[in-house]
Amino acid sequence: MNREQAKEILALYRPGTADAEDPSFSEARGLCGQDPELNRWFEEHCAQYLAFRVRFKQVPVPAGLKEQILAERKIHTTPAWLRPAVLLTAVAVVAVMAGLFILWQRPREDLGFSSYVSRMAGIARRGYAMELETKDPAQVRAYLTRSQAPSDYVLPHALEQSTLAGCAVKDWQGAKVSMICFYSGRPLPPGETTDLWFFVIDHSSVQGAPVSSSPAVTSMDGATAASWTVGNKTYVLVAEGDEQFLRKYL
Amino acid sequence: MASGEDFESIVAQYYEPLYQFAFSLTRTEADACDLTQQTFYVWATKGHQLRDKTKVKTWLFTTLHRGFLESRRRQTRFPHFELSEVPLELPELPSRLVNQLDSRQVLQALSQVDEVYQAPVALFYLEDCSYKDVAEILNVPIGTVKSRMARGIAQLQKILISGSKGTPTNK
Repeated sequence: MNREQAKEILALYRPGTADAEDPSFSEARGLCGQDPELNRWFEEHCAQYLAFRVRFKQVPVPAGLKEQILAERKIHTTPAWLRPAVLLTAVAVVAVMAGLFILWQRPREDLGFSSYVSRMAGIARRGYAMELETKDPAQVRAYLTRSQAPSDYVLPHALEQSTLAGCAVKDWQGAKVSMICFYSGRPLPPGETTDLWFFVIDHSSVQGAPVSSSPAVTSMDGATAASWTVGNKTYVLVAEGDEQFLRKYL
Repeated sequence: MASGEDFESIVAQYYEPLYQFAFSLTRTEADACDLTQQTFYVWATKGHQLRDKTKVKTWLFTTLHRGFLESRRRQTRFPHFELSEVPLELPELPSRLVNQLDSRQVLQALSQVDEVYQAPVALFYLEDCSYKDVAEILNVPIGTVKSRMARGIAQLQKILISGSKGTPTNK
């Protein structure tokens, strides 16, 4: 780099600014230390720049301009809540809140044991499709095993003596429920073939399942249910009749 | 922009240099005020779109310069000169002579500089923006910024030396 080239570069150097750290000026500035004439020229350039800068900076700013700008802003600025991004965000928040509110307001399903009993009694009484019709207890267990439903249940002795009609597999919150159907032998309304229903589920699959092996009896609108637990199985026997009738099969 | 406080803070920080830049371009107080106010109006309505808040200054100067160009209804594009392509007449105006001038005389001389060089020269003396930021403000490459500054400065000094309103010779 010669002197004239250095001058061309340094002509754009602005003293007192970030140009002091700008590497594009480094070499030319370094040359000033070796060339007294260039150094004098550079010092004059800096003095001239600062003199010009003062003149440009001396331009008076009209009084009241700042206040005028601030006043204009109050007239024209789009309120923050009307800006598209803010509006979209607000709409999304309201939608989420509404969804949460609806979910919160919706009656929550009772997953407790009484709900389980009620549900199974409802299945038994309101109709169901028997998946296997047989009087052979071994076939019932085999079918339940194939269906991955509880099959290692223990029937009450009296129930075991009743007439087996068949079985089905039901569901409770993702857990398989074995439903074994019996006929007590008493006269039934036309179309009915069973009046005793025995439900088996793993004890851990129902919240609040009883821990006692002694049957607890509950009455439900013309039907009666007894429930108890033995080992890891919880049993419910639903009967179309009163407690006296039900107890004959426990 | 998040709030009124932010807006006021930005106005307080930049309205004076913006006005001085505008005045160096328009040479009339009314036009400079209009440009400055217009710039902050645009900031108030669109400033929230600026994600990098360190770019506020560049954004404001860019907006003001665009507003100036639009107000002039410029139809032609200026040719881009690279510094290396343009032989320069280097500064020959002693600083002692500059010290004898006032702002009005300097800006009067600037008004006689080719229009394409006026904004670069004003930014050269007024602001500490990096050349990269100046290039963004003027929407031209850095090489073009430097060539326009150099040529504009040379024209300005020639005008001041001659004390005339003649056409600059360094074109």
